[in-house]
Amino acid sequence: MELKTLALDFGVIRVLQVGDDQPAYQAGWYLDPLTGQRVFYDPATQNFYTMAGGIYIPLGYMNPSPKQVALAPGEKLKITMSFKYSGPAISGAVCYYSIGVYGALGFDEKITGQNSKSIPQYTTPTLVTDSYTFTIPTSVGTNWDDIYCKIYSGSPSVPQSLFGYENALLIVGKDPTISEFTIADFVKV
Amino acid sequence: MLDIVLSHMALVPKTFSVGDTVRVTVSFKYAVGVNTTVRLLAGPYSTNIFGKHMVDTCVGRADISLAAASTPTPQTADVDFILIPSAQGGINDGTYGLRVWIEDTSAVVEQDNVLIVTGNPAGATDTLSAMMPMLMMLMMLGMVMPMAQQMGEGAGE
Repeated sequence: MELKTLALDFGVIRVLQVGDDQPAYQAGWYLDPLTGQRVFYDPATQNFYTMAGGIYIPLGYMNPSPKQVALAPGEKLKITMSFKYSGPAISGAVCYYSIGVYGALGFDEKITGQNSKSIPQYTTPTLVTDSYTFTIPTSVGTNWDDIYCKIYSGSPSVPQSLFGYENALLIVGKDPTISEFTIADFVKV
Repeated sequence: MLDIVLSHMALVPKTFSVGDTVRVTVSFKYAVGVNTTVRLLAGPYSTNIFGKHMVDTCVGRADISLAAASTPTPQTADVDFILIPSAQGGINDGTYGLRVWIEDTSAVVEQDNVLIVTGNPAGATDTLSAMMPMLMMLMMLGMVMPMAQQMGEGAGE
């Protein structure tokens, strides 16, 4: 079976240190490169906000997927997360991965996996990656098409960062999906 | 979830005689998680003000094996159907559409006026038409006779 991959980039992650927790961004408007949407960064809450009906609401962690991976039961999906890190060495951070169903009530995790991650000290932002490979079970539902991952915990602790993709997977089940159905020819035999 | 994309067909009308076997070749792409078999069906249909009507007696069937494939995989398949003469409860002479579909999916494609059917014995349709009034009278007689008989018995009492 072919190993299929998805990669998620967290951007910049900083270690949480009391008294030295300067935001990476200044307060103000930014353009979200993924959606093209204007977002506002509030350094007090360290959150990005978007405006809906005159109310600023925090941006969700789920995003449109840049690609869709078709998967069948028994096939393997490798999810890779990446982020840039600078700070002291961290031991025992948790890199967490999940496949499930994202909806109005949040993310319904169907299968999960995690790695314990140790990160060496970096004085400049350095790319760090981690991966987890899922084997798609035979009980997979065709609506298990969302994924998310997060990094949290460790010593010293990493602030929890989440990132996910909606409609990232096309689960191929026992019923066939037919497309481009056409009559090529008809003749007397 | 089925995602069907119908592309324009450039089918040219063809003439067939009753009794002929027509082979229809279809192409499509599929994805499926396990090895499976689907049923492909094809047949002629007529069109009138009430819609489209399959000539059920002429519909052909073929089972198609699909190997598990998680990415859209091209596939072609054939299905044959026989133009059964009208005298055997089949198709009348005329011009028909051609419909092909895969059972239990939304995969269906059709085109009007591409099957021209000829060759039914001359007058077969006319004979039936001529017999229709007589058949109707016999049916009505069959309904009226028991009623008349019942009324006659009632008057005698």
